[in-house]
Amino acid sequence: MIRIRGLKKWFDSRRGRVEALRGIDLEVAEKEFCVLLGPSGCGKTTTLRCVAGLEKPDAGELEIAGTIANSPTRRIYVPTEKRDIGMVFQSSAIWPHMNVFQNVAFPLIRGRKQIAKDLVAEKVHHALRLVQLDGLEDRPATDLSGGQQQRVAMARAMVTEPKILLMDEPLSNLDARLREQMRVELKKITKAVGVTTLYVTHDQAEALSLGDKVCVMYNGEILQTAPPHEVYAKPNSLFVAQFVGEMNFIKGHVTGPSQVECPLGTLPIPVPLGVSVASSVTLAVRPEHVKLNCADGLLDSLSGAITSKNYLGDAQILEVNINGLSLLVKLPGDSEFSIGQKAGVMIPLDRWHVYP
Amino acid sequence: MLFAGGLMALLLFMVGVPLLMVVLMSLRTGFPGEGGPLTLANFIAVYSAPGTYKVLLNTLLFASGTVLVALVFAVPLVWLLTRTDLPLKGTIYVLMTVGILIPVFLRTIAWILLLSPRIGLVNQWATQLFGLDHPLISLYNIPGMAFIQGVSFVPSAFFMLAAAYRTMDPSLEEAAYTAGVSKFQTFLRINVPITLPAIAGVMVYLFMSAIAVFEVPAIIGFPARILVLSALIFTSTNPPAGLPDYGLAGAYGAVMLVAGLSLAFFYVRLVQHGKKYTVITGRGYRPRQISLGRWKWAALAFAMLYLSMEVFIPFLVLVWASLLPHLQLPSAEAFSQISLSNYETIFDYVNALPFINTAILMFAVPTATMFLSVLVSWLVVRTQVSFRGSLDTIAFLPHAIPSILLAVGLGYLGLAYRNFFPVYGTIAIIAIAHTITWIAYGTRTTNGVMIQVHRELEEAGKVSGASTPRVLGRIVLPLVAAGIFNSWIWISMLSYREVTMALALGTRKNLVVSTIVWQFWGNGWVLQVAALGVVLVLFVVLVVGALKIGFSRLGEVGPGS
Repeated sequence: MIRIRGLKKWFDSRRGRVEALRGIDLEVAEKEFCVLLGPSGCGKTTTLRCVAGLEKPDAGELEIAGTIANSPTRRIYVPTEKRDIGMVFQSSAIWPHMNVFQNVAFPLIRGRKQIAKDLVAEKVHHALRLVQLDGLEDRPATDLSGGQQQRVAMARAMVTEPKILLMDEPLSNLDARLREQMRVELKKITKAVGVTTLYVTHDQAEALSLGDKVCVMYNGEILQTAPPHEVYAKPNSLFVAQFVGEMNFIKGHVTGPSQVECPLGTLPIPVPLGVSVASSVTLAVRPEHVKLNCADGLLDSLSGAITSKNYLGDAQILEVNINGLSLLVKLPGDSEFSIGQKAGVMIPLDRWHVYP
Repeated sequence: MLFAGGLMALLLFMVGVPLLMVVLMSLRTGFPGEGGPLTLANFIAVYSAPGTYKVLLNTLLFASGTVLVALVFAVPLVWLLTRTDLPLKGTIYVLMTVGILIPVFLRTIAWILLLSPRIGLVNQWATQLFGLDHPLISLYNIPGMAFIQGVSFVPSAFFMLAAAYRTMDPSLEEAAYTAGVSKFQTFLRINVPITLPAIAGVMVYLFMSAIAVFEVPAIIGFPARILVLSALIFTSTNPPAGLPDYGLAGAYGAVMLVAGLSLAFFYVRLVQHGKKYTVITGRGYRPRQISLGRWKWAALAFAMLYLSMEVFIPFLVLVWASLLPHLQLPSAEAFSQISLSNYETIFDYVNALPFINTAILMFAVPTATMFLSVLVSWLVVRTQVSFRGSLDTIAFLPHAIPSILLAVGLGYLGLAYRNFFPVYGTIAIIAIAHTITWIAYGTRTTNGVMIQVHRELEEAGKVSGASTPRVLGRIVLPLVAAGIFNSWIWISMLSYREVTMALALGTRKNLVVSTIVWQFWGNGWVLQVAALGVVLVLFVVLVVGALKIGFSRLGEVGPGS
């Protein structure tokens, strides 16, 4: 279990103080897989490094597996090597002067949980079997492929059976196909071991598929913490809507208690609390929720012309121009629309999101 | 192509001919230019004498000791300065840079003033205090020599190793911390083994340099009758009495040359092997510096201990000696005698010529070296010339040639073929020797600088219709100017402090400041040496300080890569 309360971190640069973390609150339950998602520079890696103790926070409390690891007010700071963690780095950080066995055995021989010599081999083999690298013990670590190196790093991080597993973009240095394959395996492994995991990534697909819980971060703050399907279906802010998945955005303004006017007409949709009449809002709808009708738009209130088509195989993204406004529409790959064609456009009212 | 060929020929000539001369003189007897048949007489004379093997053993011990001393200080310092939150890092960097530029012979002399069995201040003090009838400590032995030479090599070792440390992925260390390994264990079992190829490379490089150095062996070794190869080569060509014997020098030099070249080969191999270990991270994450906690002050004390030996103590001893009418311990009486008269009388001993000559060197040598280096690097890094690899190797070769051999070879050339090469006894021959030596350093830095300037910048210039010289002058040069300026200053300062080649090629007409100090010491004018030495050191501090303050925008001033 990880509990973070009011975590703050700032760096003093030549241009003054830069706030990297502006008060992070987060709880990761026992055996939960929590993903920190955000663009580069949002503070996700800094948060992870604070949990690892590789970075010293300036304020806030941090609790790992029931013990306080950091608390500036109580003058507690547990150094990295004393924290019950395992960590996988972006660059895999495999020690080049050791072979696979030595890399994985090192934490058991020199680390925090040293065990009897004759038990080391068994533990190492077990960890390597878990990542499907058994049989490669004697290979020089640098001879392995990128994916294999990352597996060694994973075995090394889990061989001591730590309470907490930290991963800093472990898949981002791998190529696309391998990344997807490793993603599936990574999930299996962490579930099999049942370790509490904190995982950092800027790849939303990775976040949505891996996490039991996703925290979207921006500018040193957590904007939304929710299960992946909720983050995707109900982004709680404009930034989350922009960052997670594709979205169409339309400017509008509120004309009544449940009424928004926009270039597509006046829509009867509820507005968020605290947004008063006459204030401007941003409407958002996902491309896959926009429906097209080839019957020339006679039956629908809206009609537009298809201006571009981006064929992706399993799907296609069409651009539809409605009264000078351009909307993206995602359709199955075999839908038959062509550029220039007129089409009716339908957007179910419950698919709209409204942001102040 | 014609231009590339011409440059290749020039470099081959500059590096190859002095070496050829060393081989040639080892096969001839008599005075340079006397001709005569080729003979192995010199080799027989040298290698049948049992004394030679004693000298080889001394050289080996001295070089090994030097490497040991240098690494004992350099390795921890590199770790402390690149990875930890050691205080005063900036100051330590600057002082190390100053340390390189203080001539080794000045440091040696200062330590003699402190530890000489007869006049040394420490021994005077110990005799007074404990009533000892023998000196407490003496510098006149191989450990003493290795100590001073080793201390002088620390900055070079430091800057070479620091480069290796910076390319090391910091998450290799962090992975160990998260596995629960202590900082000390991590340093011992992760940092040291991973940088071992780099450390081995530095060891070979230092060993190669230690075999060739001349200043410490001459100043301490001669009076103590501890001879090493370089000292023998020097005395063969510059005997205190009698005629120079270039043949013997050549025969001694041959073994040094073979050792130097094979070590250089070994060094290149090690450096290539080391590259296998460098892992480049996905992003430029600045790792958090390791907090030293309560060890901070112990670490600072270690750095200060080193800097004391390298800079502070030698400088203070020189200042103290330069202010007194005779060398003595601090006392009320001594303080009452303090005056600047040693400084005022410097020009009673020497005229302005050496100062003018040094100024000429400081301007001509870096200009010529950087000019050649830029051209060579441009060919090596930027063009598709077929022999660019060999060009680079030849430019690197002077690193492997002991400077004393290069000087002796050039001297022989100047004497034996003075009709074709009429520069013997002029400042020009010293300038040529310096240029050849530092072209290896110059091309290393210009290579690095050129690689940083992306090829496409040049190609964009060409596509827009600019000629090759215009692209070089208007696009490449402005981009690399800062790096080149940095190397120019550095080579200028190296020329300023150089004494071995200046001595080996020296006559009464081409004296420079460094050889003047050497002469003063030889004549026993200790206090004038101290005064002149203080002035020399202050000049270094002034130059480095001015550059740090004034030109910090133009890039790091220092020994570079």
